Amino acid sequence: MQRQLTDEDRAFQQEMRQFFTETVPEELRSGLSKDGEVDPDVMRRAQRLLNEHGLAVPHWPTEFGGKDWTELQRHIWRTEMQAADVPPPLAFNANMIGPVIASFGSQEQKERFLPPTANLDIWWCQGFSEPDAGSDLASLRTTAVREGDEYIVNGQKTWTTLGQFADWIFCLVRTDPNAPKKQMGISMLLIEMNSPGVTLRPIKLIDGGHEVNEVFFENVRVPADQLVGEENKGWDYAKFLLGNERVGVAPVGSIKRKLADAKAYAAQTKTATGTMLDDPLLAARIAELEAEVMALEVTVMRVAGNSKEGRPDPVSSILKLRGSELQQEVLELITDIAGPASLHWTPTDDIEEWAARSTPTYLNFRKASIYGGSNEVQRSVISGGILGLKG
Amino acid sequence: MDFAYDDEQKALQSAVREMANRLVPQETSGDVPVGPRPLDRDAWTAIAEMGLLGLPISEDAGGMGASPVEVSIAAAELGAARLELPYADAMAAAVMIARGEGGDDLLESIVDGSSVVLTALAEPGRAWDPEHPEATATKSDDGWTITGHKLGNNDLTEADAVVTTAQCPDEGCTCVFLVREPKASGASVSFESAEAIRLGDLDLLTEGLNVGIIALGGEALGAMGAALRSTVEYLKTRKQFGVPLAAFQTLTQRAADMYVSVELARSTVNFASMAITDHPGDSATASRLKLITGRTGRHVGQEAIQLHGGIGMTAEYSVGHHTTRLTQIEHTFGDSRYHLARLTAGVREHDMVDVLA
Repeated sequence: MQRQLTDEDRAFQQEMRQFFTETVPEELRSGLSKDGEVDPDVMRRAQRLLNEHGLAVPHWPTEFGGKDWTELQRHIWRTEMQAADVPPPLAFNANMIGPVIASFGSQEQKERFLPPTANLDIWWCQGFSEPDAGSDLASLRTTAVREGDEYIVNGQKTWTTLGQFADWIFCLVRTDPNAPKKQMGISMLLIEMNSPGVTLRPIKLIDGGHEVNEVFFENVRVPADQLVGEENKGWDYAKFLLGNERVGVAPVGSIKRKLADAKAYAAQTKTATGTMLDDPLLAARIAELEAEVMALEVTVMRVAGNSKEGRPDPVSSILKLRGSELQQEVLELITDIAGPASLHWTPTDDIEEWAARSTPTYLNFRKASIYGGSNEVQRSVISGGILGLKG
Repeated sequence: MDFAYDDEQKALQSAVREMANRLVPQETSGDVPVGPRPLDRDAWTAIAEMGLLGLPISEDAGGMGASPVEVSIAAAELGAARLELPYADAMAAAVMIARGEGGDDLLESIVDGSSVVLTALAEPGRAWDPEHPEATATKSDDGWTITGHKLGNNDLTEADAVVTTAQCPDEGCTCVFLVREPKASGASVSFESAEAIRLGDLDLLTEGLNVGIIALGGEALGAMGAALRSTVEYLKTRKQFGVPLAAFQTLTQRAADMYVSVELARSTVNFASMAITDHPGDSATASRLKLITGRTGRHVGQEAIQLHGGIGMTAEYSVGHHTTRLTQIEHTFGDSRYHLARLTAGVREHDMVDVLA
């Protein structure tokens, strides 16, 4: 076993830290986190800057901008980026559809889509969930019927995150309603959002924000060369993609950043005898979370590298489960520190932005234990896939 | 960062596993001992012969010259096999003697198992706080004497010497001492102007306890892993209402949470053993380890009994033994509350916890 970084990795860490804190300008670093709403312009500029320096899609094949990094280097890259509050490359592009096209797409699709996907010239959104197919994804009903060189798509998707900014959507559609198993009749299509017949309706969430949407397809004609891989094999690609998604959602660097912020907020919030950081009950919650985040971070390093092609490592379910729980606990702590100021959602001279954002952010991140395969689904993945507990 | 054991570490692991399973009867019946019990000298000799008592002691002093990583590997196998020995306690004492200023003559016999040296750091009626003892030490021309009452983690009647702390009012500090031939009654020991050797100051205590805490962490990990395996096996085989228990999702989801606890503990133990190898005085990491294994140990132990149902309550069945041991481990060398309080006092000292530092 070896704990310390080698000189090479230490130098790499320094290089990353320097890039994210010095080369990335301040306005790109603070633009996302303070405001609950995503600023698409900041996202595009940040990702293009990263891509320009070869840091947007390091886990892709090298011919499409990837780096031959070790898992540890990827972890350092991700953690330093999050710790510096730099918006990470859009997950739908970098972690989801990009790797799927790189692994299963045709040569033509790779050349057509991968460079603009890496550079966020195409903004992708995800068309997986449906009103009656959430955690039970395979029961989706949106249909695609082949007519000559086109598929005709009809149906509805929901929970489409940031769909309002998206240029394209990658969709799971039912191409064989008579398949012996519901997983076997599903395909993956790439669809332009401005195709005739596509409409988008915003869903307002409990934090008042608009980040998810419903997307309706009415006789949408999709060129057949926008089918990923083979017809009726979409479920395999979706599993591959979801495995990547799960690994991506243990945002250790960002949890650590928020926890350090919480400490700073507590130290500036006065009490009769000092500050909230002097309150042992509050400080103990911080100390406890630090220990738990340490356990998670070390676990990330242990298991993150194991996602095998098309077969996500079920151990990565731990990361999703604990990552989302700890993220939620830290945000909960911040609202508790804001206390009376957390009642007001608009910053004023007397109410700082972090305090005003604390409750909406806390509410917004209740999503973390629901999306990407709910935590209950993760527990089933662990009990079935790792422990072999199948009724 | 690399969590893979090297070949020597793997060999140590399998050798200890084989030995521990041989020493503990795996099939029990009849009158099974439960709870604290006196030192099993035969088992102690067996682990000494394998070199486990000398793992963290340098080769010059007759030890194996290994690191806390090896201590945690060995302890995990003892914990998994339910070989309930004061291993962590003895390792803490041995490290304090090896790195201290006296008692070197004992080292060889500690390593070969002929001398049993344990710690006596708690005091009756007082919470764990070895840095602020009531016991006092006085210096004379002949050396030091100690007066006070102490509690060990184990039965001390077989101990040839104990390591303890006492305040030195003349010097205004607390120091670590070695007392030979303690007159113990069970886990209690009373000193009345007992002759003592001063081993060092509180830094020495921290270093010794850190190695002890690593051993406890390893043992807890072994016990948790074994309790989880046993629980999973039980859920697969035990039938109720005509189906295996694994058919009930409420049970399998709870088993999944146990697994998460065990894996987080595994990461923490492995990481902390490496961190303390590099920084023997890193008490923050030791406290985080203690907190995590304290919480996860309680979770896994309690759930192992609950998911087994009534059989988990019986003395004959292993999960109760594991849970007993996990409960003892949590209360050894400071419980979760103590370590959380220590971490709480230090939250201002860093911005973020850096595991790569």
